[in-house]
Amino acid sequence: MTDDRALTLMEEADLLAAEFVMGTLPLAERAGAEARIKSEPAFAAMVTAWENHLSDLNDAYVDVPAPDVMPKVEARLFPQAARARANWLGWLSGALAAGVLAVAAMVFFAPAPTIDAPLIATLGAEGSPLAFEARYDGASLIVARVAGAAPDTNSVHELWIIAPEAAPISLGLLGDDPLSIPYPMPPAGWTLAVSLEPTGGSTTGAPTGPVLATGEVTDL
Amino acid sequence: MSDDPVASLLSQIAAQDRAAFRDLYATTSAKLFGVLLRMLGDRGEAEDALQEVYTRVRLRAGRYDSVRARGMTWLIAISRNLAIDRLRARPDAGIGDEAVIDALPDLSSGIETRMIAAGEARRVADCFQTLEPDKAAAVQGAYLNGLSYADLAVRHNVPVNTMRTWLRRGLLKLKECLQS
Repeated sequence: MTDDRALTLMEEADLLAAEFVMGTLPLAERAGAEARIKSEPAFAAMVTAWENHLSDLNDAYVDVPAPDVMPKVEARLFPQAARARANWLGWLSGALAAGVLAVAAMVFFAPAPTIDAPLIATLGAEGSPLAFEARYDGASLIVARVAGAAPDTNSVHELWIIAPEAAPISLGLLGDDPLSIPYPMPPAGWTLAVSLEPTGGSTTGAPTGPVLATGEVTDL
Repeated sequence: MSDDPVASLLSQIAAQDRAAFRDLYATTSAKLFGVLLRMLGDRGEAEDALQEVYTRVRLRAGRYDSVRARGMTWLIAISRNLAIDRLRARPDAGIGDEAVIDALPDLSSGIETRMIAAGEARRVADCFQTLEPDKAAAVQGAYLNGLSYADLAVRHNVPVNTMRTWLRRGLLKLKECLQS
């Protein structure tokens, strides 16, 4: 098999899976492989097989004590709970130190996080600094750009929701402020996407420009 | 699954168990931080990546399948993929920045070869033995350090396409051995 005969499509796919896991592919090909992992279960299985084959190499990674980033992770995933806990701790220490009055002020006037709802999806794309976060507060879907810049003045970011096997449906245009859309909780597995459209948004009812970021809804 | 505590924690996390998520962090973060630090080479960046890894782990725990992969293998795959994505997206990616290349451990020093000699990674190590030492070291160096074909080509002073052809042959041979 190490001669130069042409590879079958299966062999070629398997070799690409190996290269993906080894990590050597240039950006564009890596993005292509990532797209195939999402759309082709057979290819995804090849990638998993190579991850398992090469996993013995993982022993060479040495442990390095990590800083505790868990508070930041939890604040991002569960902002309400993180804030409630902080307030409760504040209440306790405040009550001990200065009495309930000062504490009440702290609890009620503490600045609220910008968006106070559980994260249900992160939207991004290979090699792009652009990132969005989608949250759901029980009544509305709230989507905000969290990294990257707004498009130039002639274009706009448009948000789409895509049910499995269905066409994208526009949810609105994204600006610098979070976009809040009254919406039922999107089921896990649905996709949110952001495309680049002319100012005013797509006029055809479907994305016309490049898709800049996507993310899958996860059930929290 | 009882012999895979990480897999057990992941299934608890998928069932919304917040304490299991913290246990997972306590038991696995040093390994994953080691992976990210080795690949990204920068403490601040590795710390930022660690946050993103555990966010992804929480969001994807429901899709983890203990039949397909051990828990730690799955966690390291998420960490490596994030690190490689970030490395490839760097503005200097593929140019073969001399400073970056010089900062990488020298593959010819045989760190990876010593690892095999020490008896780690035995199953795949046996198959790496069937490869020419240069090829084995390149595959392992790429995997562990996140080197691209462009990085490897600079290191070995050959054109990128030659490097790729060479490593693809190595992978085919590895696969043949793993299946036999």
